[in-house]
Amino acid sequence: MGRIKTSRKTRESLGFILPGLFFLLAIDLFPLLYSLGISLYSWWLARPRDIRFIGLDNYQALLTDPAFYRATVNSLVFMLGAVPLEFLAGLGMALLFSGRLAGAQVLKTLILLPLFITPVVSSMMWRLILHPDLGVLNYYLTLFGLGRPLWLGTPGLAMASVILLDAWRTIPFMFLVMHAGMEALPREPYEAAAVDGATPFQAFWYVTLPLLKYIMLLTVLIRLMDAFREFDSIFVLTGGGPGTATETIQLLNYRVFGLGHMGLANALSILTLCFVAGMCYALMRLMARRSW
Amino acid sequence: MKGSLRNWTIALVAILLWVFASPAGAGTTKSINLAMLAGFKEDVLRAFLPAFEERTGIKVNLDTAPYGDLYKKQLLSLAGGAGRYDVLFIDEPWVPTLAEFLRPLDDLAKQVDPSDFVPTTLAAGSYKGKIYALPVDPNVQILVYRKDLFDQRGLKPPGTWAELLAIAKQLHDPSKDFAGFVMTAGSDVQTFAYLTLFLWSWGVELLDANNRAAVNTPAGKAAAEFYLELLKYSPPGVKGYTFADVTKTMQLGKAAMAVQWASGAKPMEDKEKSVVAGKLGYATVPKQARQTPIRGVWTIGVAKDSKNPDAAWEFAKWLASREFGLLAVKYPSTSSAIHNARYSVLKSPTFTGTLPYAEAILTSLEVAKERNRIPQFPDIQEQLRLTGAKITTGELSPADGLKELEASINRIMAK
Repeated sequence: MGRIKTSRKTRESLGFILPGLFFLLAIDLFPLLYSLGISLYSWWLARPRDIRFIGLDNYQALLTDPAFYRATVNSLVFMLGAVPLEFLAGLGMALLFSGRLAGAQVLKTLILLPLFITPVVSSMMWRLILHPDLGVLNYYLTLFGLGRPLWLGTPGLAMASVILLDAWRTIPFMFLVMHAGMEALPREPYEAAAVDGATPFQAFWYVTLPLLKYIMLLTVLIRLMDAFREFDSIFVLTGGGPGTATETIQLLNYRVFGLGHMGLANALSILTLCFVAGMCYALMRLMARRSW
Repeated sequence: MKGSLRNWTIALVAILLWVFASPAGAGTTKSINLAMLAGFKEDVLRAFLPAFEERTGIKVNLDTAPYGDLYKKQLLSLAGGAGRYDVLFIDEPWVPTLAEFLRPLDDLAKQVDPSDFVPTTLAAGSYKGKIYALPVDPNVQILVYRKDLFDQRGLKPPGTWAELLAIAKQLHDPSKDFAGFVMTAGSDVQTFAYLTLFLWSWGVELLDANNRAAVNTPAGKAAAEFYLELLKYSPPGVKGYTFADVTKTMQLGKAAMAVQWASGAKPMEDKEKSVVAGKLGYATVPKQARQTPIRGVWTIGVAKDSKNPDAAWEFAKWLASREFGLLAVKYPSTSSAIHNARYSVLKSPTFTGTLPYAEAILTSLEVAKERNRIPQFPDIQEQLRLTGAKITTGELSPADGLKELEASINRIMAK
């Protein structure tokens, strides 16, 4: 009796899962396997009749290409520069708004504004603001005798500018998620802490942080993935330059793809996927350890 | 509930009918898709397109992309067999790669008096002896200089790069926000053009007779070092400059000289936008070991898989025609003009009377050097851009930059 029940249940659940599973296979797994397949071929669009299986040669070519290492380092610098900054700023702002704040509603709306602008549009806007000779920022800087920095034209500074502009755009996201998380926290632990005579900092350190850890990790995870795959804003702001100072893996991939090297471009995508997946896995493991 | 479901169904059916019915309704007018450069030259084309459409009944849909993306789009769509474009506005180094997907025009070209085209421009659209695209806009690098300042100081336009450097030094005045020379550096697409111009001028060839890279030579190093030297007399933001910035700097009267594509000269002569209109002189670029401005002819080709080949050819013919050329001469383009590759236009009073650089275009086209006619060239050009960017931003020394360039070119040629 029990057996039949289980199998019926299995069948029923299969019915629910299958459409979703089919969809997932069709739109996720199939293109992924296709891409994996292409990455094993020498396929240059300019020579449509010369498509050869070459095994792992594309991967080998990438791993011995200095441009690939440079791009990986740039991607890591961008990711590790932007995400902690965005996280800390978002957390700080969320804390600020968790107390009573005059005009909080209006301020909140204003803070969220950058989130509503299409990245390409906001990047275009910033590129004009930061233009060395025609930009409004350098105009005011020269008024105060501070010179005209080449915000997007000096290698180190260009990376810093790109990171800061990414922060400008995504701090609102961090803020929003963590603010929502804080609003949803139970009040009782805070009351208990207050009874025990905890200072505001102690309440933050021993109550808010542990309760919020899960949400914090989740936002960081989402942002890490996004930052590693960032393309549009960097593309518009610097196009990977000056030189290759801000050429991340995504920009390199775009360049390779644009010259029609399908095998190489797909190999690059697969390597990116492996990296992001590995990072995700590590962070998910961390999240799964819910001892805290 | 039932009522609302019925309403939804009716709405859905109506939408579907509309979607499927509309193309059929447009049956009589032919429509073609054109892959076009965005921003540059687009305004010239759009200004005269309605007249073409009205005369021929052919509707032309413009799909535009910026220079850096246009080749990608054309290659991906042609090679992918998407049949997305009927006609394509093609920069000449792309012709050898795209030729495979373009319709040979040798027979058709007879309709348009091919002997009227400057021979070098017809060569720009040809590959392995066949014409795949007609020349539309014969671009070539020219030297632009402030004739008024030169006259004041009794200077003559520089004949050699050393003379140019000396004049740039003399006129460069950062305190007045005035530069001796303006070009691009950094990662802009035009950086390839300046590096190539210097390498060629110093006698360097990109490839030797066996198609191996030949850039890492003492002459190559001297050329790259000259690029860096000239940067000292350029505007402070030059590492972020683009084609449009070079033109803009000249228009604002903030530089004494520039090497620019001829199409950028027109906006400099526009009295509405340029404070130096009428004050400029034009010449062929200076020489070192030789005088080698880059030829960069924009051409128009017809896709082999076009579903409307006749309409596509009609459009290509019009764009390369004398009529369009004479109209375009008069049009005040914002950033980049379309000139014309026909002697009958280049030598017409309309052209020579309107454009003070008319002579410079013709003489420069005669000595202009073409880029290697190989399918790999777009890849090599991208490497030249990268190397130019790395050298000018100080990421690599000229010696290391050329070493890397040589290795990259050889890797590309080995594919």
